[in-house]
Amino acid sequence: MTLAPFLEVKKASVAYGATTVLDGIDLAIAKGEFVALLGSSGCGKTTLLRTIAGFVMPSAGTVSVAGRDVTRLPPDKRGMALVFQSYALWPHMTVAQNIGYGLKLRHQPAEAIARRVAEMEALLGLTGLARRKPAELSGGQRQRVALGRALAIDPEILLLDEPLSNLDARIRLSVRHEIRALQRRLGITAIHVTHDREEAMVMADRIVILDSGRIAQAGTPEEVYNRPVSSFVAAFMGAENSIGLVGTVAGDRFAITAGPTNEPCAVPLSGRPLADGPVVARFRAEAAKLVPAGDAAHVPEGTLVLPGRIESASYPGGHWRHAVAVGPDTVLADAPQAFAPDAAVKVCVPPEALFLFNPPGAEPAAAEFAGHKTDKASELAGA
Amino acid sequence: MSKRLLGLILVLPALATITLLFIVPLGASVVGAFEVEGRYGLGNFDKAFALYSQDILFTVVIVSLSTAIIGLVAIAIGGYLTLGENPHAVAVLRWLYRWPLFIPFIVVGQVLRTFLAKNGMMNNTLVSLGILTPLETTSFLDWRGIVIAFVWKQAPFVALLVSGAMASLDRGTIEAARNLGASRLRILIEIVVPQVATTLIVGLVLSFVTMMSVLSVPLMINAQSPTMITADIAFRLNAYRDYGVANALGLISLLITASIAWIYLRHNVRSRA
Repeated sequence: MTLAPFLEVKKASVAYGATTVLDGIDLAIAKGEFVALLGSSGCGKTTLLRTIAGFVMPSAGTVSVAGRDVTRLPPDKRGMALVFQSYALWPHMTVAQNIGYGLKLRHQPAEAIARRVAEMEALLGLTGLARRKPAELSGGQRQRVALGRALAIDPEILLLDEPLSNLDARIRLSVRHEIRALQRRLGITAIHVTHDREEAMVMADRIVILDSGRIAQAGTPEEVYNRPVSSFVAAFMGAENSIGLVGTVAGDRFAITAGPTNEPCAVPLSGRPLADGPVVARFRAEAAKLVPAGDAAHVPEGTLVLPGRIESASYPGGHWRHAVAVGPDTVLADAPQAFAPDAAVKVCVPPEALFLFNPPGAEPAAAEFAGHKTDKASELAGA
Repeated sequence: MSKRLLGLILVLPALATITLLFIVPLGASVVGAFEVEGRYGLGNFDKAFALYSQDILFTVVIVSLSTAIIGLVAIAIGGYLTLGENPHAVAVLRWLYRWPLFIPFIVVGQVLRTFLAKNGMMNNTLVSLGILTPLETTSFLDWRGIVIAFVWKQAPFVALLVSGAMASLDRGTIEAARNLGASRLRILIEIVVPQVATTLIVGLVLSFVTMMSVLSVPLMINAQSPTMITADIAFRLNAYRDYGVANALGLISLLITASIAWIYLRHNVRSRA
């Protein structure tokens, strides 16, 4: 994003009593951008959204929109509309009254309200439901009414607080695309809070991953997926397999010494900010390749090879997932066909799918790496 | 069969209690209301309306007015507890407003009698503040005193029910309205009260019925005519041993409360439909 920031959060901190919920958050969002705030429950993502919306007052830091400081402004003076996780529709009002309430508060004439409500109903596929009460609607319809109520006042920024979490799985998939398409069509700036990684990946231009009140990483879906800056982000983005290794930096490669779990190999550094010593290796089950132990087939250079033994296999669909005992650890790896239990295998992890991190306290270059992630990430994205 | 018999035996004590202590006396009173010197007729009602029609009207007006004011006060208290932004003021109000719940009606009557009299504490305070001169003071010990006593005693009860219902609302419905720019008063009237309407009506119906049956407050505060039906019933029984007219007056107040209960039931059915 090369545009000047439209919505800017600077050094925002929020504390409830002695508990720090947000700790110096810096976030800049361009006009028309769709940003997902991703994190597990309790990471502060909803608090950040509510701070932006004006329902939570930060103990330090500022929120500004188009260069205007809105930190102390009430929620309705910020040009933002919030869609609640529970939808928070007013049960005693009809669909039309719910959607039109914001316009009624703005003292718009009745015909203008009726026109705008009809527009919203057409936009969101709610035509014919205007006189129904929320209790007479399906979950998906309620969700669209909540969206219509927020969009009716023509906000500059749309805030979405886990709006899909109350929908059943199949509807959720289609609503994802509907919201994204609508946001593009209206050119509105959107911030979407979710704990669902896939939802964030599919919908957002940019993903901001939060971990205990701090931003763990911010970047395009491709960046955070392929270039996680920390072991936490890697794990959150699905690289659940974790192995402890030891290695040294040798030129543009990181030489991993043979250990109880692995064969030696030299992985291209490719910008990884590694130091000599112990590292944590992380990789996804689907990125690993399983070969029989006796297979003498050529292993490409830089591939990490972990000899192991099959513990169990299951079929989640499309491929077989194996639990493989590697030394004292167990890793998950996928293969197109099932291996028999106790079969000796080799887990091969290609260098571009292998995430290496020095353990906390031993990563001197990590901060510097996070600073120039964009150019590095784009250079590596094709790797 | 034996199981059914056992069940009957188990409910028998409760059934007997209700029958002996509630249904039989109520039936006797209803029958007694139509009994004039050994024969049945409407004589007691003729007499009751001839002597007390003004009091019946007085009672309905006073209790209805009190119910309306109680509703407003309860909404105001509940609204402030739900939407108030000063946590200290909310905490103080939450602690204070329930006190009248624990004070019996007779004590309320006594307290307000000394407070509202012509030379009572209220007027003395207003005079010492220079707001009134001693000549301008009036006694509030009439219908106004009864209304004040009823509101003072019953508003906390309705406020307790209403604020509980408000507290269990989805906060999102309030925040969504704030997000769109609604003032707190508008949120209270247009968003919060409609959602707790059923609880509010239940509280008001219960208060109405309670106030219809209070004897101590009219006796303590307003012993002159017109007064409330309860005072008349007591008077007919104590002064004349006139059970007929007393029963007729009792049946009239029962019909008034029953009509209110009917309004409530109708509302309940409609809101569930």
